[in-house]
Amino acid sequence: MVPSGLPWILPALVLCVGLIYYCIGYTGIISTQDWDGVSPDPPSVGADNYARILDDPIFWKAIWHTVVFFVVTFVVQTALGLLFAVLLHSKVKLGVLYKVIIFIPVVLAPSIMAPVFRRIFAPDGQFNWVLEHVGLGALAQPWIGQESTALAVVMAITVWQWTGLSFVLYFAAMSQLDHSMLEAARMDGASNLRTITAIIWPSVRGTTLAMATLGAIGALKTFDVPQLVTGGGPNYATEFLGTYIYRMTIPQAHVGYGAALSVILLVIALAVGILLQLRGRERA
Amino acid sequence: MFEVRSRWQQVALQVGITLMVIPFVFPLFAMVQGSLAGDGWGNYSAVLAVPGLSRFFVNSVVIAAACIALVYVVTMLAAFGFAKLRLRGREAWFWLLLACLTLPEVVLLAPLFATAIRFGFYDTYWAVILPLAALQVPFAVLLTRNFIAGIPHELFEAARVDGAGSARAFYNIVVPLTRPIAAAVVIFTFIGAWNAYLMPLVFLQSADMQTITLVPQYFVGQFSNDQTKILASAVLTAIPEVVAYLCLQRLFERGLSAGAIK
Repeated sequence: MVPSGLPWILPALVLCVGLIYYCIGYTGIISTQDWDGVSPDPPSVGADNYARILDDPIFWKAIWHTVVFFVVTFVVQTALGLLFAVLLHSKVKLGVLYKVIIFIPVVLAPSIMAPVFRRIFAPDGQFNWVLEHVGLGALAQPWIGQESTALAVVMAITVWQWTGLSFVLYFAAMSQLDHSMLEAARMDGASNLRTITAIIWPSVRGTTLAMATLGAIGALKTFDVPQLVTGGGPNYATEFLGTYIYRMTIPQAHVGYGAALSVILLVIALAVGILLQLRGRERA
Repeated sequence: MFEVRSRWQQVALQVGITLMVIPFVFPLFAMVQGSLAGDGWGNYSAVLAVPGLSRFFVNSVVIAAACIALVYVVTMLAAFGFAKLRLRGREAWFWLLLACLTLPEVVLLAPLFATAIRFGFYDTYWAVILPLAALQVPFAVLLTRNFIAGIPHELFEAARVDGAGSARAFYNIVVPLTRPIAAAVVIFTFIGAWNAYLMPLVFLQSADMQTITLVPQYFVGQFSNDQTKILASAVLTAIPEVVAYLCLQRLFERGLSAGAIK
């Protein structure tokens, strides 16, 4: 008779499910109150907070930014990660050096890099300096300070940071490829491009799906970069659900409203997670 | 993967990848260059002379170490239970845990804040360690359960026949055989805890409790926006991470890809 596993999983359940589900339940309760985070007896307002959110233009802006952010960063990261992985599986000298350079951003804390990126994209920063020195001075602009480009800066920083992860995962997946298949394709006269699209891309599908799931959840969790580099601005141009909830809950002390936003964020995140899992299984 | 037929293509490949890598080095280069502007190395001595700088490092080390220990123990026990022991409603419990994977940490802010104040652990290490560990456990259990499931059943049955209880089996079979995946779990947890920004920002108020991710902001106050010194502090806080990565490079990459390929 195999012994029961319940005592073994209990510590994890207490820590994880206990803490997290307790917090979610508590958030649910707060979301029906008009609470400033301090007063001992906050008035209940029912579903008022939720009704107000649906009419809140900043909420819809944040949702839109999240969608754009996910699509752009996912496509660019996938393309770059795949390309780097293919190139570094070819005959390239100093491969390890390139790998290290691409991967270092993954381990660096966004909060540490934030001041660096604020500096680079400042009106007199290095990015504009480079543009001027390669003859594109006309394009120089205050990248962080204007609505039209701030979101692009946030996305560029994210791509810089996470391409290393896509790359490492694709690189590992490609190491497991069947080389006889590649050689057979070559014998039949397949070009490099054709090999990539017809053989490599389909066989790393699992990795692409995993990256899509991670990316979608990551987009919904986005906080550090917009908070520290653009502060969610200018004029809410880089507001995400994470930064908006933080702003509402802590600095502005509209804790009830922040909690209602949290519940909505949680429902979206769960729905996206389940959806991607189901789709992944269907096609696998 | 790319087939190179001539010397020219070889050169083109090398030049191409070098050009592609430049944007990835550029911020690091700008960081170091900016930190040396103005007073040069004087920026570094000014930063190092700030009293209490080591506190940030000590706090980050304490929090990361505690997170790693907590996540490791809890994960190994649970993964063993899920993979090899009898469990009613196994998948239901597992999904309850997995659902936490999608949880954005910002959702925990308000309730944790209220709870931490009420029970007096606001502004202590626990206020950061517990939620950070709780957020890491689901993924760690997912990885480790799959790994332990791959250990042959016969091994556990033989141990049972010889009279070993689950505790013995855990200690003598699971712990030694899961080392590769344990390395992955440790590295994930380390990156997560060391780089955590939101939780320390909200839950660690006093200056001598804060972590290295809060250093740049602290220095904005200290040096009233002297960018060169803020960048010097950024370089100093980035160095331990870069060194850790360079030393454990293979382990990092293997750990990160452990989840994606079997």
